[in-house]
Amino acid sequence: MILIEYGGALLRGLGITLWVSCLALILAAVVGALIGIARTSKFMSLRVAATAYTEFFRSLPTLVMLFFVFYGLTAAFNINLSPFVAATIALGLEGSALMSEVVRGGLQSVGKGQKEAALSSGMPVWQVELYVVWPQAIRVMLPPAVGVYVSTLKGSALASSIGFVELMQTGLLVRERVQNDYDGFTVLIAVAVIYTIVNYAISQAGAHIERKSNYAQ
Amino acid sequence: MPNNLKSPNDAAAQDEPILKVEGLVKRFGDTTVIKELSFEVQPGQVVVLVGPSGTGKSTFLRCVNGLEDIQGGKIIFEGEEVKARHSNITAIRRRIGMIFQNFNLYPHLTAVENVTLAPVKVLKESPESAKERAMELFRKVRLEHRATAYPGEMSGGEQQRVAIARALAMNPALMMFDEPTSALDPETVGDVLAVMEELAAEGRTMLVVTHEMAFADHVGDRMLFMDGGYVVEDGPPSELLNNPKNDRTRQFVNSVLKPEAAMKGTADSSEVPPNIAAR
Repeated sequence: MILIEYGGALLRGLGITLWVSCLALILAAVVGALIGIARTSKFMSLRVAATAYTEFFRSLPTLVMLFFVFYGLTAAFNINLSPFVAATIALGLEGSALMSEVVRGGLQSVGKGQKEAALSSGMPVWQVELYVVWPQAIRVMLPPAVGVYVSTLKGSALASSIGFVELMQTGLLVRERVQNDYDGFTVLIAVAVIYTIVNYAISQAGAHIERKSNYAQ
Repeated sequence: MPNNLKSPNDAAAQDEPILKVEGLVKRFGDTTVIKELSFEVQPGQVVVLVGPSGTGKSTFLRCVNGLEDIQGGKIIFEGEEVKARHSNITAIRRRIGMIFQNFNLYPHLTAVENVTLAPVKVLKESPESAKERAMELFRKVRLEHRATAYPGEMSGGEQQRVAIARALAMNPALMMFDEPTSALDPETVGDVLAVMEELAAEGRTMLVVTHEMAFADHVGDRMLFMDGGYVVEDGPPSELLNNPKNDRTRQFVNSVLKPEAAMKGTADSSEVPPNIAAR
């Protein structure tokens, strides 16, 4: 049975897929938070620059971004990135554009009165943000942030095209090795099932956290 | 009702005013909301601001704690000039309690956490002593059974009393109320007014924007009638309500105290601007 023989390789591939999308999500969260905060800034120039960033990186197809980071940087600046690093950066940048929207939406969902009440009690701005605005905003950000992670994880399959051996590329390599249409198809189905199960589990975990963090409105 | 619940402001009248407003001007873009405002508040005084909607009463309160910057004049609180963008504004705000029309409780925190947040984070009180004092304040506003409830589980009147406790927890020198009962169901208004009356009786300095004329008359030491961006009349509440000197004051008082008379053709009597009759 083909899956017993190559199951271990596919699971290793899954591990790499999860790892690279986790790193990309961390990058996306950090950069996305900064861009998202800039998008709610009272300074017009900052808002414009941040919006341009979001629109640009959101509009680029993931594949273009991957090629740009992997081959483009090498050609232009002679920076040699491993497929792993290139995939992390490319997926992270795309994710940061999506996350900036999530962060902006979350911050804007907190009523103006909340800030005013906290300021009126004598809190400096950083305390207002830390104790009043962000705890409320994060609850709003959580469900769409899970969505960003799922889309990053799916996008990571494209990293197979720059030779990064994650779950998809592992599947493709196994399929070439078996040289048998039936077994090859079985491998592809296995890959598809793994992606589906993992993404479904992540979505459910997100929904669970969302329910737990809800307070009476 | 007897007037002996009023705070003993006569003795305090000799002190430095706690709040001094000199020629205040507030504009939003091209609209001048406050054209000229000058008055002083003595410690222990309960000053009630009344007048038709949109005449700058709430805006004035927001200027006092620097939520709005001002375009002219001066606001001096406890001898310090209030400037929205100055670094001393957080120190000034600690000394001023603000009660909002829509309560603005933090929905992610329980009632007691709402009350202890600023004392712990701003005044660096220990969480234990802050909580102890919060429970005392809850007894005072008669909400000790609701301490662990979230704002979303409470009625408007309960939320507003938590908001009052939250302001009191900072032990402010001045309490400002911005239409504290306007967003409440009628049956919960009385509880909030009762708490406010107790605060006044304790001799707290209060600045209250309200449409509750009976409360203003009973608890206020002084009433300012604002209209069109000016203080039109300033005096003891009973004087303004029973014997207004200014035409606009009289129209407003009539429309608020005798809604039936003003109701001809309008649904909401309390919101009828008195100048409609003048047109």
